[in-house]
Amino acid sequence: MTTVRGLLSRRWVLVLIVVITWVILAAALKGVSTLELSTAADTPFTAWLRDLAASIRGNRTKSPAFLYFFNPIRLGVQGFIEPIRSVIAVPAEGDLIPLFGWLGVVALIGYIVYATSNLRTSVLSMALVFGCGVLGVWADSMDTLALTLGAVFLSLLIGFPLGVWAGLNDRVMAVIRPVLDLAQILPTLVYLAPLALVFLIGIASATIATLIYSIPICIRITAHAVRSLKAGPVEAAQSMGSTRWQLLTKVQLPMARQTLILGVNQTTLAALSFVVIAALIGAPGLGKPVIDALTIRNVGDGLTAGLAVVLLAVMLDRATTAAVLRSQSYVPVAGPALIRRRIGLIGGGIATVVAIVLSRNQLWAAVFPPQLNFGEEISAFFDTIVSWVTSTFDFLTTGLNTAFTTIMLNPLEGLLANSPWYLTITAISLVALIVGGRNVAVLSVFLMLAVVAIGLWHDTMITLSQVLLATAVVMVVGVVLGVIAGRSERAERFLKPVLDAGQTLPAFVYLVPVLALFGPTRFAAIVCGVFYAAPVVVRVVADGVKGVPSDMVEAAVASGSTTTQVITKVQLPASKKSLLLGANQGLIFVLAVIVIGGLVGAGGLGYLVLVGQSKPELTGKGLAAGLAIVLLGIMLDRIAHASAQRSDRSSS
Amino acid sequence: MTESADPGASAEAAISVRSLWKVFGPKADSIVGTPLAGLSRAELLEQTGCVAAVRDVSFDVAPGEVFVVMGLSGSGKSTLVRCLTRLIEPTAGSVLVSGEDILKASPARLRELRRTRFSMVFQHFGLLPHRRVIDNIAYSLEVNGVKKEMRHKRAHEVIELVGLHGYANHYPEQLSGGMQQRVGLARALAVDPEVMLLDEPFSALDPLIRRDMQNEVKRLHRDLGKTMVFITHDLAEALKLGDRIAIMRDGAVVQMGTPAEVVANPADEYVADFVRDVPKSHVLTLGAIARPAEPGEYLDGPRLDVTTLIRDASPVIADASGPIVVIANGEAVGVVTSDDVLRLIASEPTASEHEAR
Repeated sequence: MTTVRGLLSRRWVLVLIVVITWVILAAALKGVSTLELSTAADTPFTAWLRDLAASIRGNRTKSPAFLYFFNPIRLGVQGFIEPIRSVIAVPAEGDLIPLFGWLGVVALIGYIVYATSNLRTSVLSMALVFGCGVLGVWADSMDTLALTLGAVFLSLLIGFPLGVWAGLNDRVMAVIRPVLDLAQILPTLVYLAPLALVFLIGIASATIATLIYSIPICIRITAHAVRSLKAGPVEAAQSMGSTRWQLLTKVQLPMARQTLILGVNQTTLAALSFVVIAALIGAPGLGKPVIDALTIRNVGDGLTAGLAVVLLAVMLDRATTAAVLRSQSYVPVAGPALIRRRIGLIGGGIATVVAIVLSRNQLWAAVFPPQLNFGEEISAFFDTIVSWVTSTFDFLTTGLNTAFTTIMLNPLEGLLANSPWYLTITAISLVALIVGGRNVAVLSVFLMLAVVAIGLWHDTMITLSQVLLATAVVMVVGVVLGVIAGRSERAERFLKPVLDAGQTLPAFVYLVPVLALFGPTRFAAIVCGVFYAAPVVVRVVADGVKGVPSDMVEAAVASGSTTTQVITKVQLPASKKSLLLGANQGLIFVLAVIVIGGLVGAGGLGYLVLVGQSKPELTGKGLAAGLAIVLLGIMLDRIAHASAQRSDRSSS
Repeated sequence: MTESADPGASAEAAISVRSLWKVFGPKADSIVGTPLAGLSRAELLEQTGCVAAVRDVSFDVAPGEVFVVMGLSGSGKSTLVRCLTRLIEPTAGSVLVSGEDILKASPARLRELRRTRFSMVFQHFGLLPHRRVIDNIAYSLEVNGVKKEMRHKRAHEVIELVGLHGYANHYPEQLSGGMQQRVGLARALAVDPEVMLLDEPFSALDPLIRRDMQNEVKRLHRDLGKTMVFITHDLAEALKLGDRIAIMRDGAVVQMGTPAEVVANPADEYVADFVRDVPKSHVLTLGAIARPAEPGEYLDGPRLDVTTLIRDASPVIADASGPIVVIANGEAVGVVTSDDVLRLIASEPTASEHEAR
């Protein structure tokens, strides 16, 4: 133990020496070779990308790749999604209302949820969907829901078989795993632009982007479901002469039922959160008002739409979670409960059909009644609240913002971005060498040189400075709350709904209130990143602390440790692996949000990506910025990963 | 798998295993038949990174016999039993079942054999949690394409046989461990197999339930006469159930014989250690302590067969005024007095020694 501590502290002393030297040199060489580039300026690489994008645009109707591959995919996806939309969201051509009016939709959702889980969840789901109408965003909500459900269906269609295959076959898993890992690191923002370039702005692009995000999640959980089955029953079935197909259909899939449904839950929430972001490339629905709120600062409408997203997220989460819980026991209901359920299913079915028929014939059931639509009032109410809060607490928000920016953000940005690039690369790779080892250091040098070659070094360092600071804050918050939640069940019960909400909510919806409070600043982006990443980190840390064997803690208490000593000398060191895992996850989550923060004035790479999307002459720059984000993400992930593995080795 | 035509293999035996090896690890195939095969397990692991879980095991199981394989955990007994139906693919050797070499069977043939000729009972039951008892029991008939009506009829028969009456529609999670293993037994019996393989079937059960289930197996064996290969780490269980016992250590069989042979003449220290605590009178028969009559001893006492357990004979011996006469095939072969029995019991460790260990 002492040698481990010795090694550890020696490592941190070395890091400290590197950082101090770096700070001194950076101060001396401030402003030298920073490779700063104005937004409008191109580098050879971005110019090449711009021309490439232009030629792709020009070839959409000519090139065989488009005629026989991309365009059919686009039309196919569109042809799949549009009918779903026309059922609940938009009138088909020549119709005045969608196939089902609001009453039909509410009843149908209630019935489906009842059939897959229970009455309570069903009533809750209907109330939540109804709430979307009260918020005055019925049509947009239905559009988001239709797109989400369509994307979930396609995700399952593709992800489920692949996941099963990867679960059964190690070789397939070995091929798929790096792709899944990369998909996890990729910030959502970066693949929007390339997709829009190939599949045009619109529903097809939005759906495909959503699929790229949600399919890996589906594959991962499905493969895990198949892999984590108890070996006994599977072996027994083999010993009785099952064929592989019999084994799969009669044993493995039925046994994995619960985890598979959990996969549906995760896939659905992922799809919903992405469909909101996909408004950036033309997804209809609730994402649009949110973006409008961010850009033209129509905060009330944005918050209303954001709240509707929350309602949908809670509805989808509750409904699928209830289905997961219901599948916990393999014993089906029987006796009076079964009879009650049959009556419920038949009665509910009739009521649903009646509601749907009504919703096609009666105006009040077809169009959400204006008397119940409080959208404008709610929006105005939000506006009032926000302006009251901002004016009343201005000293606080501005003060916090200014203090954080001048004390932490500016110095760090100065160190990373405003010193010579070769100094920064040397310093970062030395740190990587010390904490992660030679391979990672070499990889980091390579990735950073690639960023320099792309020509976006300065912007990348601005983004990096925000990511590092936000991660540091996330780790402090995460460790404090995680230790509390890990040590006290009551605290955990209290935190659970907050964490659930944090993990369920699409990142986008925090942006609006944070922007309202802190204005379009780098600080706002950091706050969003912290909000988004903290739940994951808290959870990982809490699980780690809870996972420390209780006799280890008891032994420490029995030998007279104070609570602080138990935490710092036993629980935290013993859950070091979880802390590092938390840091890794935190970094990736933060990066995803910080680049979206470009929308709210955080600058850096995210801003370039967004500008590139709106201005054709800057397309090249936007695409290059996306690439730089990927390179940065890989570097951060690999360094965090390697240091986690390294400490794992040294402590074992 | 070059030695399937081993001259020693017996076609009459229910199961005939010859020179069976299972080596886990890199290049597992390149060990058997080389000098490496002669290394001890630890040496082999050090030199090649391979573990020989089963080393050069040979035995025959006669039809209707209960053959017990006993050993501590890690001795290779569970791997051995899985090699018999190729749930684990053996590295070398041969396994003949009624004269047919299992290791040469095609996948389809192997499935057929598993569906009809063998069945297996597992330590942790291995029941399918999503199926009712009856559908668990009917599983192998189902995968063999037997019609639902037929397979449920058969399942009901074995449900009665193992004492699960009234539980056909329960789910495994609704049953206690002992009941679950009854389902495991019923499932194994459903196909009317030639050979039942039982891998520590009762180790996960409470002692009282375990005794019930052992009696159940004895009863089923008496009634149905199935050939059984029974794996256990519990010597008492082995002695109780086995017609013959093979004791394994580090993958190899160190002794094979009837319970009496093993207890009376342990082959080495390892086996002796195992059998030290066994009350010999429970295992040995009169034959083991019978001695020639000494001059002057009366030979008109009660007459008992040489195969009688000493435990069962002792009330008679105690009541007799003189020696009892031990007979085999109607001929007197020796005598036993209560002193002889006492001497045997005295040679066993006392209760306090038990405590001390």
